[in-house]
Amino acid sequence: MPTNLNFEMARSLVGFTVLLLFLSICESASFFQPISDSHRSAAVELFSPDHGSLKSLEETYEALRTFDVLGIEKKPDVTATACRLVSETVGSSSSTLKNVFYALKANSIVKCKINDKAYQGIITRLNAAVDGASSLPDFYYSVGGLVLVKGSKGDVHLADADGIFRSVKAFRQSDGRWRSSSSNPESSAFAAGIALETLAGVVSLASPELDQSLISTLNNDISKLFDSIEKYDDGALYFDDKLVDGHDHQGPLATTSSVVRGLTAFAAVTDERLNIPSNKILGLANFFLGIGVPGDAKDLFNQIDSLACLESNRVSIPLILSLPSTVLSVTKEDLLQVNVNTVLGSNAPPLTVKLVGVFTSGSKAASLVESQELVFDDGTGMYNLKNLPKSIDVGSYTFVFEIVLHELEHEKIYITGGQKKVPIFVSGLIKIENAEIAVLDSDLGSIETQKKLDLAGQNAVSLSANHLQKLRVSFKLTTPHGLAFKPHQALLKLRHESKVEHIFVVGNSGKQFEIVLNFLGLVEKFFYLSGRYDIELAVGDAVMENSLLLAIGHIELDLPEPPEKATRPPPQPVDPYSRYGPKAEITHIFRAPEKRPPKELSLAFLGLTFLPLLGFLIGLLLLGVNLKNFPSNAVPATFATLFHVSIGAVLSLYVLFWLKLDLFQTLKLLGFLGVILVLVGHRVLSHLASTSAKLKSA
Amino acid sequence: MGKLWLICIASISILLPFLCNAFSPETPTDRRVLVLLDDFAIMSSHSLYFNALKSRGFDLEFKLADDPKIALQRYGQYLYDALILFCPSVERFGGSIDVAAIVNFVDSGHDLIVAADVNASDLIREVGTECGVDFDEDPSAMVIDHIGYAVSGTEGDHTLIASDDFIKSDVILGGKKIEAPILFRGIGHAVSPANSLVLKVLSASPSAYSANPKSKLSTPPPLTGSAISLVSIVQARNNARLLITGSLSMFSNRFFRSGVQKAGSQIKHEKSGNEQFLTEISKWIFHERGHLKAVNVKHHRVGETDEPALYRINDELEYAVEIYEWSGTSWEPYVANDVQLQFYMMSPYVLKTLSSDKKGLYSTSFKVPDVYGVFQFKVEHQKLGYTSLSLSKQIPVRPYRHNEYERFIPAAYPYYGAAFSMMAGFFIFSFAHLYSK
Repeated sequence: MPTNLNFEMARSLVGFTVLLLFLSICESASFFQPISDSHRSAAVELFSPDHGSLKSLEETYEALRTFDVLGIEKKPDVTATACRLVSETVGSSSSTLKNVFYALKANSIVKCKINDKAYQGIITRLNAAVDGASSLPDFYYSVGGLVLVKGSKGDVHLADADGIFRSVKAFRQSDGRWRSSSSNPESSAFAAGIALETLAGVVSLASPELDQSLISTLNNDISKLFDSIEKYDDGALYFDDKLVDGHDHQGPLATTSSVVRGLTAFAAVTDERLNIPSNKILGLANFFLGIGVPGDAKDLFNQIDSLACLESNRVSIPLILSLPSTVLSVTKEDLLQVNVNTVLGSNAPPLTVKLVGVFTSGSKAASLVESQELVFDDGTGMYNLKNLPKSIDVGSYTFVFEIVLHELEHEKIYITGGQKKVPIFVSGLIKIENAEIAVLDSDLGSIETQKKLDLAGQNAVSLSANHLQKLRVSFKLTTPHGLAFKPHQALLKLRHESKVEHIFVVGNSGKQFEIVLNFLGLVEKFFYLSGRYDIELAVGDAVMENSLLLAIGHIELDLPEPPEKATRPPPQPVDPYSRYGPKAEITHIFRAPEKRPPKELSLAFLGLTFLPLLGFLIGLLLLGVNLKNFPSNAVPATFATLFHVSIGAVLSLYVLFWLKLDLFQTLKLLGFLGVILVLVGHRVLSHLASTSAKLKSA
Repeated sequence: MGKLWLICIASISILLPFLCNAFSPETPTDRRVLVLLDDFAIMSSHSLYFNALKSRGFDLEFKLADDPKIALQRYGQYLYDALILFCPSVERFGGSIDVAAIVNFVDSGHDLIVAADVNASDLIREVGTECGVDFDEDPSAMVIDHIGYAVSGTEGDHTLIASDDFIKSDVILGGKKIEAPILFRGIGHAVSPANSLVLKVLSASPSAYSANPKSKLSTPPPLTGSAISLVSIVQARNNARLLITGSLSMFSNRFFRSGVQKAGSQIKHEKSGNEQFLTEISKWIFHERGHLKAVNVKHHRVGETDEPALYRINDELEYAVEIYEWSGTSWEPYVANDVQLQFYMMSPYVLKTLSSDKKGLYSTSFKVPDVYGVFQFKVEHQKLGYTSLSLSKQIPVRPYRHNEYERFIPAAYPYYGAAFSMMAGFFIFSFAHLYSK
């Protein structure tokens, strides 16, 4: 059956992890504190209408019950809302059985006014429901409802109690667990709790007494159920249903709570003493107390309600030994105080608390003190140990206490759980003396420089050494009782400028602590980094009240140059703040414009360029240039005019080219003008040539 | 027809849960978180933390870490947006989850919260290593601080630490200063100096060290002082966010509700800073803070509104981008004064801080450099705690066209003048030469 095996493995693994986790949660409190004010403030916070709870009757009942148990004054608005809900539910015939049940439960706390007629209606309804019930919850709600009605009216009884008892018992399984209905094959401890509570109701409602043999068989079932109880390492016991289908899985708290409710209800109605070892009851109480303050309204209700059931149960009432403080200071002469309460924090019966022994943690040596009784202080209600025994110095100890009840009768009612081991830290001021720091010469061990240190105040030693020398730091620690003290943390730290750190454990011989750093052997470890090293000394322990972390000063180290193959120092973390942040702005540097002469100069030279033209014109005038050769005939004159106009056009085209035209436009126009110019020019020039030839020949 | 619609809607609503993805600007809400536990008792002992998440709209699904049915993805689709590992002692995950699956989950942009504890399993340590942190290798080591411990009547071994060495970042820890120290009990880890993505959010004090409190210290502890990180975060390059801590109990109701007094300090705080610290940091982890998006990147020449295909050298241009930050419910304008724009070709030619109008719009104007080539507008915004913004847009820059140069240069007037005076002379000369007698 591989699947089965897997399942078994998973189960055991879950159990194991549950255990580990639970330990890690409440490791700090290896003894359990009774209910305290933190539960009260949590209850007020969790069960507030604006927190979203108190919507249904069930939640309203849970709130009322928790407030009731914790002794919190009910807020008027909660009571009013509850009463409104209760009367609505009770008065209406359409409300579900579950709601009627919780309405009656809430009513048993707030005591609303319900008229007789409504009660009669409910009794008939519930009786009918009992007769027609087919599943465990149906029986639970209807029988429970009748019990509650009996509580306030007093004249309710079941006619066929035997029959109902038998039909409820039909859901029983052989292992002590119960099924919730005949169609559901899964049996659970959760259902067992409900069944026990229902049967307790049946017993109390039976008008002729029930057959005792029926009840005593049930006693056996309860013992069987307790065989399946699970255990944490610290002594807490709980029930858990490991269902394959986590669908309606209730969780250990709800399951255990259900069993406790059923068990105490059943114990209350039966005359027989239930056959349950009383330390199991203590284990259950430890389970509920170990949870601390739940953050969920339902969990808080389950915890508080179960503890309330245990507080007044008929099997055995657990007494919880707790210490307000497990850290005692020798220097402040703290009192060792012990509290013994019931789970809800109320006073215990007369008893004596004995300190049986004190053992050093982790050693098997005999007790350090003789057995003695603690003195009861009426004012605080606590048991005090006046003075810590002389033999107890600073350190961590295990104190063993025992509760002895004064009256024999009480031993049957209460369970104290035998001897109780409590780890206790005794702290004190440690004397630090002879603190010195010195630089030694390697060969001779002679002291080159030596400085005294004041480890209680400020120090700013400045030393220098090379790799052939040694650094020695020494100090002496004594406890208030004058004994040697070995702190857990005695570390010397050298930190180079580049933040490379080196840590050394300072060893001791007796009271004297000393560390000698031989730099020759440490050169490689120091990565051949010369320069300034800050020296820090940390001495601390859990029981040392004056733990210190002290910057002693610095030492300037002169180490040889690193060889080529020397290891590089490891990279140091980069400061995250400097890694981000805006970068420096960059603006582009544009090319500088070409250097140009001033405009005036250019204009002056522009004027100069026209001077030759002017000279040319003057020269022409001086030469007496005329236009006598201009053709006189109309046709050649026209061509001559056209010729010069086109020359002028080409020249102005050049001006236009400069002003706006581009090369292609210019060339296009120039081609057109050129053709005209050539044709016209040819006619004019040939005419002029022929005229001059005639003149010559004439 | 009506039936068809109904089927359509039904099938969409069935498919919807399977379509969830990593945080994306389009669908930043409705996020499903898988919580893996060692034990269902954590549900009630840590319920304040879970309720804080639920009240912010997260859909938490609690499973045992060794539940054989758990899976992160189905048919290639991730079923969750984030994973919370509150199972420090699990040796092997159930179902199809293993370290590689978790790494893939993060690599595809999903968030992760890991809480280890004393005696953390190798598996959880391996997850830590994958995230870039190294837990102390000694399985029973704890962070001990004989100076910065939390004063308590019942805890004498100084492993309950009150730490207040936070990272200075409003985006990670919220704008409200955390007054009370954080209670921490668990193992320390070191952050690799080479890894720039991991940040120490909560560091131990200089007097802390990591060792087994029950055994004598004979060798120097591997982790000491403020190099010990108690809580670290990682923001991966794909903006997946991770939280790693060595304490599961710091999330517990007990620590949330507990008062705290740091040793040596007279101030007794009614409530530890754990709730505020872890709630604020979970807002960061789940992208309710510090997640930026940039939209509407625009650039154009001064005086124009259309985006040109290319710029000419020496053009004046304007650049604008809108940046918003996710607040958990809506995109709010991102206000900062260090968003920078680079005009980049091989190296930045222009790097300018954008000016903000405080409503999310960042803009600037500058002159295109007189170098032509293919440039990029780059906004590389990296800020502690914020997602990195990396925008880049390619744009070519051309030189002047031949007719875009200056046409009338005064310095050249003498040359023009000379040419034109010669032309005028030529014109007159043509008359004198042809018709003079």
